[in-house]
Amino acid sequence: MTLTAPAPAAETPRSRRRAPRPVQRVRDTYRRYWYAYAMVAPVVIVLGVLVGYPLLRGFYLTLTDANSLNSARTIGVNTIDATYKFIGLDNYAEILWGPAAYDRFWSHFVWTIVWTVTCVVLHYAIGLGLALLLNQRLRGRVAYRLLLILPWAVPTFVTVFAWRIMLADAGVINSMLNTIGLVEPQWLEDPTWQRTAAIMVNTWCGVPFMMLSLLGGLQSIDENLYEAAEIDGANAWQRFRHVTLPGLSSVSSTVVLLGVIWTFNQFAIIFLLFGNTAPDAQILVTWAYRLGFGQQPRDFAMSAAYGVLLLAILIVFTSFYYRWLKRNDQLA
Amino acid sequence: MTSSPSTHAPRRQRRRGDLGPVERAGTHVTLAVASLIALFPIVWLVYLSLGPDKDDYLHPGGIFAKATLENYSFVLTNTEFFNWLWSTLVVAGGTTVFGVMSAATTGYAVSRMRFPGHRPLMWVLLLTQAFPIAVLIVPMYEIFSQLHLVDNRFGLILVNCTTIVPYCSWLLKGYFDTIPVELDEAGMIDGLTPFGTFWRLILPLARPGLAVAAFYAFITAFAEVAFASTFLLDDSKYTFAVGLQSFISEHDAQWNLMAATAVLIAIPVTVFFYLVQRHVVTGLTAGGVKG
Amino acid sequence: MRRGIVATAVAASLALAATACGASSDDSSDGPVTITWWDTSNATNEAPTYKALVKDFEKANPDIKVKYVNVPFDQAQNKFDTAAGASGAPDVLRAEVGWTPAFAQKGYLAPLDDTEALEEKDAFQPNLIKQAEFDGKTYGAPFVTDTLALVYNKALFEKAGIAEAPATWDDLKKDAATIKSKTGVDGYWGSTSGYYATPFLYGEGTNMVDAEGKKITITSPEAKKGLTTWQGLFDGAGLHKADTTADAYAHIQDAFVNGKVAAIIQGPWEITNFYKGSAFQDKTNLGIATVPAGSSGKAGAPTGGHNLSIYAGSDEAHQEASATFVKFMTSADTQSQIALKNSTLPTRDDAYTDEVKADPGIAGFQTVLPAAQPRPELPEYSSLWGPMDQELPKIASGAETLDKGLTTLDTAFADLLPDFSK
Repeated sequence: MTLTAPAPAAETPRSRRRAPRPVQRVRDTYRRYWYAYAMVAPVVIVLGVLVGYPLLRGFYLTLTDANSLNSARTIGVNTIDATYKFIGLDNYAEILWGPAAYDRFWSHFVWTIVWTVTCVVLHYAIGLGLALLLNQRLRGRVAYRLLLILPWAVPTFVTVFAWRIMLADAGVINSMLNTIGLVEPQWLEDPTWQRTAAIMVNTWCGVPFMMLSLLGGLQSIDENLYEAAEIDGANAWQRFRHVTLPGLSSVSSTVVLLGVIWTFNQFAIIFLLFGNTAPDAQILVTWAYRLGFGQQPRDFAMSAAYGVLLLAILIVFTSFYYRWLKRNDQLA
Repeated sequence: MTSSPSTHAPRRQRRRGDLGPVERAGTHVTLAVASLIALFPIVWLVYLSLGPDKDDYLHPGGIFAKATLENYSFVLTNTEFFNWLWSTLVVAGGTTVFGVMSAATTGYAVSRMRFPGHRPLMWVLLLTQAFPIAVLIVPMYEIFSQLHLVDNRFGLILVNCTTIVPYCSWLLKGYFDTIPVELDEAGMIDGLTPFGTFWRLILPLARPGLAVAAFYAFITAFAEVAFASTFLLDDSKYTFAVGLQSFISEHDAQWNLMAATAVLIAIPVTVFFYLVQRHVVTGLTAGGVKG
Repeated sequence: MRRGIVATAVAASLALAATACGASSDDSSDGPVTITWWDTSNATNEAPTYKALVKDFEKANPDIKVKYVNVPFDQAQNKFDTAAGASGAPDVLRAEVGWTPAFAQKGYLAPLDDTEALEEKDAFQPNLIKQAEFDGKTYGAPFVTDTLALVYNKALFEKAGIAEAPATWDDLKKDAATIKSKTGVDGYWGSTSGYYATPFLYGEGTNMVDAEGKKITITSPEAKKGLTTWQGLFDGAGLHKADTTADAYAHIQDAFVNGKVAAIIQGPWEITNFYKGSAFQDKTNLGIATVPAGSSGKAGAPTGGHNLSIYAGSDEAHQEASATFVKFMTSADTQSQIALKNSTLPTRDDAYTDEVKADPGIAGFQTVLPAAQPRPELPEYSSLWGPMDQELPKIASGAETLDKGLTTLDTAFADLLPDFSK
């Protein structure tokens, strides 16, 4: 998983604001040169070839009826040409308001939103709780910390399989629930429980990252602020509300954005936990993958159209999120 | 992270003074339970890997009596384990080198220079990281089919670069931002070109940032599931993420062998992670999240 | 010093990347030809036999090397589809009989009619050759055949006082209740997968589609009747509830071999696994009977099995070597060896030697073969399993009504077969 990526975004405006004169001078000098373009060229070329071209190609495919039967294929020495045709926006129309729109798109769309919100809220709440506990002088703090980041240290594709064994019908989780006399849910069978299981596993995997980031944020809050608050007679809750939370706001806005993007795009957990089963627990990403590669014949055009819609959702969300952050910044 | 400067200690102690014995006990219980939840799935996997039969996971009680390391020796001698290891190293290593190298100059450029297209570039870099795999996988398959890059590790490196390159660029930009720009100026006064400044002065200072970028690039490529599962076909070219799945086919799931392989994969990765995690977290706070 | 380490690391990684780029293709024109074979058999039970035979083949044909690759059955169709139109395809594929026409239609397979592979074409059972045909050409050499049967635990049936295997689904339901009350274990555990539901359709004299009449028949009254029976077998005394997990197959299998369920529907490829279980240490405890009949009085099960097919994209040298290999693997002698070790059913009469017929599992399945129904000659037929496997679990678990599920299937089939009428 990529990690700190957009974090520096929070810094950009600040570093620009406080840019001292020498910086300006250096930049002025550079501006006159072609160095900048030369230095960004490798990445621009790589992204143009690896992302830009496929993106355009993919968008074109969404306007056709391409599938694995009519696409061009090279069979060793023989080549078969593509025979798919241009059908305009029909694919999008079918996804959004065709006869099976609810079953195929909207039900997955709603579930994807529920999944993203639930997971991120759980990640954040549990992560913050643990970070607060760890941010105290405590015997065994280091040991706890090392144990708690284990789910992050072990690759996801390994731990998902551990969960799949544990969640099986007669698996260890149900045995334990049975021992203490609770219901034994069909984690991998019943649609509602499948969704619960998916959220559970993703929460387990995602908490350590939140915990560590927030712990870092907590430790950078100035102790004097707490002291001042105490002198002003603030109780523990008030200190948390008025010192801790504002102190974490910059970290929080970054990790929540990351959390939303990762969870929305989470592929491995659902793909590995359910295999080719559980159509109801598929989020849009895994559903799109299944249309393109998990069925016969493969529906390339549909799969790509889902991809484009997914991207649109993410772009809209991200820009709103930034606008919201900016407004809050100005208020502060 | 864990060791705070000593000057803070007394102050801190005073503040923590109001933590009563009940609260202390509560904290310990909560943390212990959380640690147990974090630990259990891994322990369970290790335990199941000792059961010799593929259906032992359905009757875990029986494993105690017949625990054996048979699964491990079988995996090491009768499967493609070492080919998978090699493949994983090639893909993850290749992605790391390619990704970090091409991202470093860009990170520096967007950190220090202003040029037309600067903002759009930053946007594109940010957005590309958020690309769901579903956007690119279909056209990638089509293009790779024509270029004979399906079932090819180099193809997989290229795919991984679509997320790694923009991510590393951002991360390194954040790191370069923390290096005082006066250094650049000094370099230029000494007559260095911008390339020279970057190469001789800044890059050596950015080593911790490069290490963090490399680490994440490696881990991301190591754990990539979707593209690897789709594009790798020859079982001797599988990465671990694909190889592990091959034990779990619907009609012949060999959970015991899967568990043993999983443990073999997890141990080195986890150890490595623990060894470097402190630097990673420091790099993370220094480079980005610092409040 | 430090810089040294970094430099070494970079150099090493570069070397890795370089190796990755310079991939394969070192087959020179002379010297031994290396062909790749994707075997889709069970990796634990069947694969060792095939690997040994590959060794024998290489010994007999020193100028051909075979790279054996075991691909899990449920991933192979997809993987071959990915590979065949791009790169990385094997020269020889063990393809399920249903895949053969679909791959042939896409141009992925080479016709075998006048090649060495099918020199002994007449020795194979004619209906199996017919199943490998598409557009008048033969695209596979029949390698193994199979069908579904009712397999049962004789001891449990005796304990419940039942002398004979049930002849109809209604009998099975009654027997299951009796077994539950007398022995305490479940009488029957049905699979929710599409393939295992076909006997219920055949039992009413219908199928998912009518290929000759170009008609989708999944919503016909007969199909509905059959699937109502099927649905009724997930709920009741002695009937195990529907398991819709990805691991359902393993769960059912595990319960049966350990004597926790008395009867299941299963094919001969699991015979060796049955014998490994605690309930069938005594091999004679395994009962094999024709699948129960539906209300039409007819019993029918799908004809399954696998063909060996040759990739159309290989060059001539590889295709010739592949043909030699296919001929060897499907010869009478090889097939009897496979049957003896794996208890799977050969595809040609001359492979059923006395020794082979003495195997109780093979003998048992041989008696049920007459009920096996040939597959319709329809390339899209194997695509129908996708929607079936998606909808049937929903119906079985009660998440969806039968009517709703069948309507969805009807629509899905119509998408796959645009020129069929409903």
